[in-house]
Order: sequence, then structure tokens, then C-alpha cells
Amino acid sequence: MHIESIMSDQLTRYLDVATTQAKLTAQNMANVDTPGYRAMGIDFEAEMRRMLGDGPTAAAPAQAGLEDGLVARPDGNNVSMDRESLNLAEAQLRYRTGITLLKQQYQMTMDAIHADNGK
Amino acid sequence: MNLFGLMEASGSAMQAERVRAEVVAANMANAETTRTESGGPYRRQHVVFEANAKATSFADVLGNSTSGSVASNLLPLGTAPNKAAGGVHIAGVVQDPASPLKRYDPGHPDAGPDGYVAYPDINPLTEMVDLMSATRAYGLNGSAVQAEKGMITAALDIAKG
Repeated sequence: MHIESIMSDQLTRYLDVATTQAKLTAQNMANVDTPGYRAMGIDFEAEMRRMLGDGPTAAAPAQAGLEDGLVARPDGNNVSMDRESLNLAEAQLRYRTGITLLKQQYQMTMDAIHADNGK
Repeated sequence: MNLFGLMEASGSAMQAERVRAEVVAANMANAETTRTESGGPYRRQHVVFEANAKATSFADVLGNSTSGSVASNLLPLGTAPNKAAGGVHIAGVVQDPASPLKRYDPGHPDAGPDGYVAYPDINPLTEMVDLMSATRAYGLNGSAVQAEKGMITAALDIAKG
């Protein structure tokens, strides 16, 4: 029997994708004034679906790509402060959700361990 | 995936923006400077940002930390370039090639034989816009650090009962 449940394994992957999203956002924010820089991002849902699927691709780290369809400034930079702030808030909330659920999973295991200690 | 690496990227941006603000301050402070060490009036400076490449190999990381780049000699107040992966660094501080402004003031000690004094071509408006943009970008990356701190704290909470 495993202490690790399917749920906690999937949550770990979810946290990985959320961290990648936060990382790319931080990277875009850091380069908000770099001439010629192109914003990077990931498709969260597609990545999650890929990570949860079986097969060799499931374990690979999330793939980052250039974001398209953004308006570029005259210096070639297409980072938008508002968009990145939103993305960061979103990544943060996803991360917190994952952490909360993961904590609950561990709590369940702890409850099982302590089940007969109570009374 | 390392959350601390993310803070380094945001930190490198804060460092770069601060240097930019320092350069703007130096420009405004020297708006009327007619004498410099290199002779002639002060020349307006501006910084060039460059995105950090991902450090792929040990050699790259070592190279970054040992070879003092040319740009680092130009950075004010002894700031070493912070080359966090995914972050930003200052590629160099360059001088504005614009020619100095000539103002007629024959009584000035630095006046030429024709009575004109060469003043730096510094526009307070341009400098203020640059300063505001640097402040905003600094704040943006500051809130990113705040968010990343929150995420790390949340992860640490797992270990608490």
C-alpha cells in the first residue's frame, strides 16, 4: 500500500505547472523594459491535460512558448504590465489551491495514522 | 521547479531598474555641468537592458561569475550584474551622441572664444518620464517578489501540523 495517493501525485504536477506559469510571468515582468523581448507563456489547460495523461510525455516538464497576438511596442517588446499582473495573481491562486488540497491529503494520512490513538 | 529562482529573476529586474533610476538622477543632477573629467560638458547617459539567457551548462555559470564584463565597469555605485536565469541585466551604460547645447554667456569661465558655453543636452521631461517608468517597473517586480514570497510561505505551511 502506498502513502502517496493518486491525488497527491496529480497535485504535485498541478503545482509544477502553476510554478512554471509564475516563473514565466516573473520572467516577463523582469524584462518589461528590455528592447526586443517577446513575452513567454504556457497553455495551462493543455499542459495539465498532457501532464495527467499516460505515456512518456507525461513526465516531461511543462513546455513554454512565445505568446502570440500581443501588441508590440515600437522597440519590439510585447510585455503588458496588466496582463502579467493578472497572470501572476492567477498562478498564485492556483498554487495556493494546490497547496491547500495537498495539505488535506497529508492530513488524511495523518488522521489514519492517529486513528487508534484518540481514545 | 525552484521558487527561489523566480525571486532571483524579479530581484535582477529590481536591481536593473534601480540602476536606471540612478542614471536618470545623475543626468538631472548634471543638467548644467559644463566641466567633466573627460573635458567638455556632461553627456547624457542611458542604460541598455538585455534579457538574461538561461544558464545551460556549468561552464556558462562559471563564465558569468568570473569574467567581469565590460558593462560592470560602467555601472554606478559598484553594482555587479545579476545574471539570474530568466531575469534581466544591464548590458551597458551608453552616452547620448547628441551634441551639446550652445548658450551665449561670454562671462562664463567655460565660454569659448565666440562667447558660447556648451551645456549638456538634457531634457527634464524625458528624464522624468524615464524615472517614472523605472519606478513603475520597480514596483511591478516588487509585487512579483511579494507574490513569490506568499507562494513559498504557502508551501512551507504544508509542513505545519
